[in-house]
Amino acid sequence: MTSPASATFAALALVALIAVKLTHLQALVIFALVVSAAFGFLGRRQPKERLKYILWTLLLFLLVGVGIGWAMYPFSR
Amino acid sequence: MAEETTVQEPLNPPQNAKRESFALVVGLAGWLVPGLGHALLKMWGRALICFLTVGVFVWVGAGMRGNLFTSRGNDAFDSLGYIADLGTGGFYWVAKSLETSGPDVSRADGDYGTRFLATAGVFNLLAALHAYEAARGRKA
Repeated sequence: MTSPASATFAALALVALIAVKLTHLQALVIFALVVSAAFGFLGRRQPKERLKYILWTLLLFLLVGVGIGWAMYPFSR
Repeated sequence: MAEETTVQEPLNPPQNAKRESFALVVGLAGWLVPGLGHALLKMWGRALICFLTVGVFVWVGAGMRGNLFTSRGNDAFDSLGYIADLGTGGFYWVAKSLETSGPDVSRADGDYGTRFLATAGVFNLLAALHAYEAARGRKA
């Protein structure tokens, strides 16, 4: 019989075994998606406003991220 | 997921003090457990989003073997990193327990992980402040 504490610890240990392997673009997309959604929910109340804000912020995050990436490309080597 | 914070009428001093202490408890709870501050105010959607955001960032950051700063930093940047990481509240120790192999910033992955962990902390501080302000009756 396992206690809730040991079950939680086992679950955490299992999660710890899963190393996260992401490319730069995947990391950027996850970051942009999560932050946009979080800011949208914290800063806006109406569902329509939220959705607009989330999509707009996500687009800007991605554009600026990829843009800065390309801007640094000539100096990368 | 409609969450409304009503604009409160002016309160007399004892009520004001009571509300101020409740707001402090809400802010502190929101820092310790991401989303708990909003949950105490019955803002369920925001509570869930805060919990998930910080949770995902901590999980991804720790999974990428990001650097989790400690109080024994060598310079001001380490101390700032520690403050940012501490912003995750209880999730700081969750991240510590997830990083069984320790940080590895020799690869870009680890560097990204460090940023994810710091962002989780800063976001949680922002969310706790938002909950505190909402509990004080400010428009949120």
